[in-house]
Amino acid sequence: MPDKIRTEYQEELDNLEASALGGLDLVNTALVRTLEAVEHQDIELAQIVVADDDRIDGRYLEVHQSLITLLATQSPVATDLRLISALLHVLKNIERMGDQCVNVCKVIPLTGNEPPADARMVELILAMGKQTRALIAQAKRAFAERNVEMARDLVRQDDIVDDLNREGFRLALEIGDDVDKREWAMTMLLAARAIERIGDNAVDIGEQVAFVVTGLFREFEDASHPEG
Amino acid sequence: MLGAAGTKRNAEKGQGQMSNAGPVTATSTDPVLGSGGRAAKTIEARGVNLYYGDFHAVEDVTMTIAPNKVTALIGSSGCGKTTFLRSLNRMHELTVGAGVEGEITLDGEDIYGAGIDPVQVRRLVGMVFQSPNPFPTMSIYDNVASGLNLNAGRMSKSQKDGIVERSLRGAHLWDEVKDRLDKPGTGLSGGQQQRLCIARAIAVEPEVLLMDEPCSALDPVATLAIEDLIGELKSKYTIAIVTHNMQQAARASDLTAFFNLEETGRPGRLVEIGPTEKIFTQPGEKATEDYVSGRFG
Repeated sequence: MPDKIRTEYQEELDNLEASALGGLDLVNTALVRTLEAVEHQDIELAQIVVADDDRIDGRYLEVHQSLITLLATQSPVATDLRLISALLHVLKNIERMGDQCVNVCKVIPLTGNEPPADARMVELILAMGKQTRALIAQAKRAFAERNVEMARDLVRQDDIVDDLNREGFRLALEIGDDVDKREWAMTMLLAARAIERIGDNAVDIGEQVAFVVTGLFREFEDASHPEG
Repeated sequence: MLGAAGTKRNAEKGQGQMSNAGPVTATSTDPVLGSGGRAAKTIEARGVNLYYGDFHAVEDVTMTIAPNKVTALIGSSGCGKTTFLRSLNRMHELTVGAGVEGEITLDGEDIYGAGIDPVQVRRLVGMVFQSPNPFPTMSIYDNVASGLNLNAGRMSKSQKDGIVERSLRGAHLWDEVKDRLDKPGTGLSGGQQQRLCIARAIAVEPEVLLMDEPCSALDPVATLAIEDLIGELKSKYTIAIVTHNMQQAARASDLTAFFNLEETGRPGRLVEIGPTEKIFTQPGEKATEDYVSGRFG
């Protein structure tokens, strides 16, 4: 009996994993551009991010279809089955992360050409973005290395993003009575919220890492039962 | 020192009697068996070693074949799963030089016990084979009734008619053959022939049905029909099935036992037994994972 059989199937599954996780690189690029668009209130760059989201959606559809074909034709079981199930989840997370970048970019035109930007608020959003990029990179590495500890650490990293998001609320309340400034601050809170959700999706990817390795799915943190 | 089962524990025909209390009909509220079900018997194997002459084929198997469940035995060719299955109704010893060590019990009774009649064991533990093998010279009716003639002594025609009809209905074959019961069994399609063999096996009201690759000679539709039938039969019988079809084990069984052979010439061993769902999603052993995933190395 040959040492290895089903090598083509294994190669295909490996390639699909690389392709799915490569979607996180696309999200990273979208987030870098999104942060730059926020920093410079760059409407054109924001429009590029919106248009480019088709690439992330395309990656989702392409890899999703290929995974369904593998399920239908190769009858994967055990670790392979868990991996495919996890990749289907992760693809959805990636697609949502791309959508959140789009959400941020869509509110930038609402702030006007010369918005009454508050430097502290912009810095805070950039800090959230930087931390979220680190989360995306860590989620990708944890998945590729099947590293449950690294995946669990995403919760701690995400807490930093959550704290910054709460800080954003305080800044918005302190921004004063000027109507334009308040409106701008509200818009920036929407942007901060969208970035915070990207971090949550990275944590969800970490939960899928634990599922692939252990076969058990448990939320690292349950928002509806925070003490549980 | 190993011995041939037929001599080491020579069963003196006709002396021993395995108890068979007959069907125990469950109440309609029974949550496990449902209506029409009955509690079947458990097979326990403890430290079973099987031999063909000097060749040690199966080593130290301890496992339970649970009642009213389908237990699938999987593993690559030569791993001993069929040999083990054949030891469960004392068919292994029909091979010249075959030997059995260890203990196999049916609801606590040692089927290799002194004075136990192997023919009686085979009545309680029926076997369905890989290729459908209806008796070629017999009609459909006589195929089903053949076991009755051997086992039940004198029986009235109407009693026999009743059992033949019940068995053919139980095997999902009645509607297809009721108008040609006197025609040869070999005139049926492959899937029908296999259901005829199942009808023949259940006609004598066994406790356990052993199936050795029952669908390997059948087309996919006939295969699914047999799998559906297996799913129904477990409400009355304990079922063990050897299969090379991984998806069949996944679809049709409640428990899966994986047998493996470390290398050619070594005996096959039971690596792992567990709920089928667990074996196919999260097996405990790497060898099991490699086998069910179709991956070696």
